Amino acid sequence: MSSELIIAWIYASPLSTAIRDLSWVVPTIQSVHIVAIAVIFGAAVISDLRLAGVLAADEPMAGVVRRYFPWMRAALIVLLLTGLVMVIGEPDRVLVNTTFWLKMFLVVAVFTLAWSIRRPLLRPAAQAQGADQKLPIKALAWLSIALWCVVIFCGRWIAY
Amino acid sequence: MDIQSILQALEDTSLAAYIRESGSFFPNLESVHVIGIALVFGTIAVVDLRLLGIASHRRSALRLIQELLPYTWVAFAACVVTGLLMFTSNATTYAQNSVFWWKMGLLLLAGLNMGFFHLGAYRRIEEWDTTLPPPGQARVAGFCSLALWACVIGLGRWIGFV
Repeated sequence: MSSELIIAWIYASPLSTAIRDLSWVVPTIQSVHIVAIAVIFGAAVISDLRLAGVLAADEPMAGVVRRYFPWMRAALIVLLLTGLVMVIGEPDRVLVNTTFWLKMFLVVAVFTLAWSIRRPLLRPAAQAQGADQKLPIKALAWLSIALWCVVIFCGRWIAY
Repeated sequence: MDIQSILQALEDTSLAAYIRESGSFFPNLESVHVIGIALVFGTIAVVDLRLLGIASHRRSALRLIQELLPYTWVAFAACVVTGLLMFTSNATTYAQNSVFWWKMGLLLLAGLNMGFFHLGAYRRIEEWDTTLPPPGQARVAGFCSLALWACVIGLGRWIGFV
C-alpha cells in the first residue's frame, strides 16, 4: 500500500471528515496543544536550568528533576494525542510535509535526550548522589532547551 | 486623526509591508510568540499551582515567585514585541477581529488578578510562605490566573480562525 493510498484512506475516514466538518474541533485541539507545549516547555526549561546550575542551585538536583519529569511525560502524551487529531484531519497536508517529519524526528531526539540526562536522578537508589558524572550534563541541558525551541519553530512552520 | 487612520498608517509603514511580504518573517514571529507563551504559561502555572497548594521544587512560596517571575516577565516582553509586530502587519484587520479584543480583555483581567494578589495576600506572604495549602485569597488568585491564561492561549489561537 503506497503512502498516497494511506493518506487518501485516512482523509476519507469518518473521523477525518468529522474533524474537518466541525469547525470548533481544530482550534480547540490546537489550543490544548499549545497549553501542553507550555507545560512540557516550562517543566523542561525549569529542570534543565537546574541541571545547568542556573536556577534553584540550592535545591537538590534529583528533587527538582523528579518534581517536573512526570509533567513532561503527561504533556508529551497530550501533545501526541492532539497532534494525532490534527494529522487525521489533514493527512494530505501534514504527512507530505518535510517540516512535520523533521519535527517528529526532533521530538523523539529531544525527549530521549531529556530522559537520558534525567534518568540517573530518577532512580530511587540514586537519590542521594548527584547527576551522572560521565555525561556533560550542563551542556546537554542547554542543548535540550535549544532543541525544544527548534521543535516549536518546526511546529509553527508546518502550516506554511 | 481617528483610530482607523492611525491603524491604516501603521499598516502602511515599510516595516508592516516587510512583515507581510517577506514570507518567513511572520511565521518566525509566531514561533517566538509561541516560545514566549510557553515560558509565560509554564512558569506562571508553577506559581499558580503552588498558590493552589500543589507543592513545587521549593517550599517557600515567596522564593519560588522571586525565582520564576523574572523569566515570566522576559518571556512576556518577547510576546508583547512579537505580538505588536504581528498586529502592525495587519492592523486594520486585527482591529476588526472580535476574538482579538476578547484576548486583550482577558489579558487585562489576568493583569488585574495579579495586581489584586500583590496588593492582598502577597503583602502578608511571610505569614503563609511555607504553609500548605495557602490562604483562600491566594488560592483564588492562583485559580483565576490559570484559567485566564489558558483562555488567553485559546483565544489567541482562535484569532486565526475567524
